[in-house]
Amino acid sequence: MSKVKTRQKVILFTCSWHAYSSLEAVARERISCSTAVVPIRLSCLGRISPGIILKAFEGGAAGVLLLGCPEGQCRYQTGNLEARKVVEETRSLLLLLGYDENRLEYQLLPAENGEKYLEVLNQFLERVQNGRKKS
Amino acid sequence: MNKFKEIVEANRAWLCLDCGKCSSVCSITLNLIEGYTSPRLLVETAVASGEDITLEDPLLWSCLTCQRCSEICPSEVNFSAFVQGARQLAFDQGLSGSCTHSGMIQGWMRMMADPDLEQDRLGWLPDDLAVDQDSDTIYFPGCLPYYDAAFGELGFEGLAIARGAVKILNALGIKPRILENERCCGHDLYWQGDMETFQKLAALNLEIIQATGAKRIVTTCPECAYTLRTTYPEEIGDLGVEIYHLSEFLADQPLLKTSEKSSGLESGKVTYQDPCRLGRFSGVYQQPRDLIASLGYELVEMDHARSTSICCGTSCWSSCGQVNKEIQISRLEEASSTGAGLLVTSCLKCQIHLKCAQKIPGGGDSSQMPIRDLTTLVAERI
Ligand code: SF4
Ligand code: SF4
Repeated sequence: MSKVKTRQKVILFTCSWHAYSSLEAVARERISCSTAVVPIRLSCLGRISPGIILKAFEGGAAGVLLLGCPEGQCRYQTGNLEARKVVEETRSLLLLLGYDENRLEYQLLPAENGEKYLEVLNQFLERVQNGRKKS
Repeated sequence: MNKFKEIVEANRAWLCLDCGKCSSVCSITLNLIEGYTSPRLLVETAVASGEDITLEDPLLWSCLTCQRCSEICPSEVNFSAFVQGARQLAFDQGLSGSCTHSGMIQGWMRMMADPDLEQDRLGWLPDDLAVDQDSDTIYFPGCLPYYDAAFGELGFEGLAIARGAVKILNALGIKPRILENERCCGHDLYWQGDMETFQKLAALNLEIIQATGAKRIVTTCPECAYTLRTTYPEEIGDLGVEIYHLSEFLADQPLLKTSEKSSGLESGKVTYQDPCRLGRFSGVYQQPRDLIASLGYELVEMDHARSTSICCGTSCWSSCGQVNKEIQISRLEEASSTGAGLLVTSCLKCQIHLKCAQKIPGGGDSSQMPIRDLTTLVAERI
């Protein structure tokens, strides 16, 4: 199936709150990140939908990572839970399309934690690269 | 030159200019919440104004391409084809109707246009159903596995329809071939005007199907049946196989042995929703009705049935709003007022759209009416 190629981008959706503040923490410390990552900031992760995620893959994304606030800490109460449902539904569509389901991931991040952000991001990047074998 | 004029000419739509007869039956015109538009007015705009103004006409985007207008048209205007042609023009300018469900459905359809795609789409086939990958009969479930994943929460029957179809074919002694990598037939993208992706999907299906050497395709989707049978030859090439909707196919087969009535319906009365692509587009009205009768049900018709049937209210997963919900709710009320205990259809999209409308709060009796696909109704009796 559609093989992941080296120059393919990874689309990163974050909410504007905890997850984004961690991204900013990394930026403040001037730690360099992979240029393959394209961050897109949403007001809340609950704004995501299967169509938007599929659009990223249709456009050739290697992977899509969603980062939101920890459970119980969503600024809009349930946005992160909504996003989880969307990810599950989209994963089942991706599986039908023959994509490795690990190319779509959902993680919740504490605020202002650049280290954790980098850890999650790098692990995802690595999985997406390894995912090349299957899809 | 205003390109819309060419499309008007190709479909004889200039005759609309001093007519307007179908404004009295067009579901969109009749249910408009604000403003006014009609098939006649859309043609007038296309002829008299520039492209820009035509592209703003809401009917261009909300037309169901249900063909109800053509059914009563005294002048043989192919209005749906006019709309399709106009949408093609619009699409080439980067415009299209607003996609429902965040564009998810168009998303998977476009992803299927990737020639290297290797889908994993046969997981629904249980071991007790017999398939034969050398069979000369293909069962073509279309996007059912995808709709099953996307609309399970609505209580949509989903893959039960596909399993039912294979069970029925097995009962007739047919072990169908099911394609591992069939693509979306492209119906919805075609009617949205996205010809480029439609042609890619059609070319892939053509190659995959012709490589099997099969003689016939049976599908449970009226839109797949119409597209493979009629649109493919017009646009990309004849598949060279016979195409049947399951209800047509069964009409030519020896009568299925079905078990005693176990409908659980007090009255035994059912009503039937004709899907546009099966009824008006393909002329298949009687076969589904005969099948319903063969199960021992009494069919009570809605006021609008057969060629005057009303579309389930949304088409090609675009433009679904208040007008569409009005159409769906009144169709459900019409079904419920027949006194039938069950609404049967033979199109998965009719089922999805009508079940969606049943979720609108305050729907009364009609929102409780069970809706089933003819396939699963037959299959449960085998
Ligand atoms: S489609 Fe036919 S009935 Fe409708 S306005 Fe045009 S000519 Fe009249
Ligand atoms: S095809 Fe249907 S929705 Fe479109 S103009 Fe004709 S009657 Fe109206």
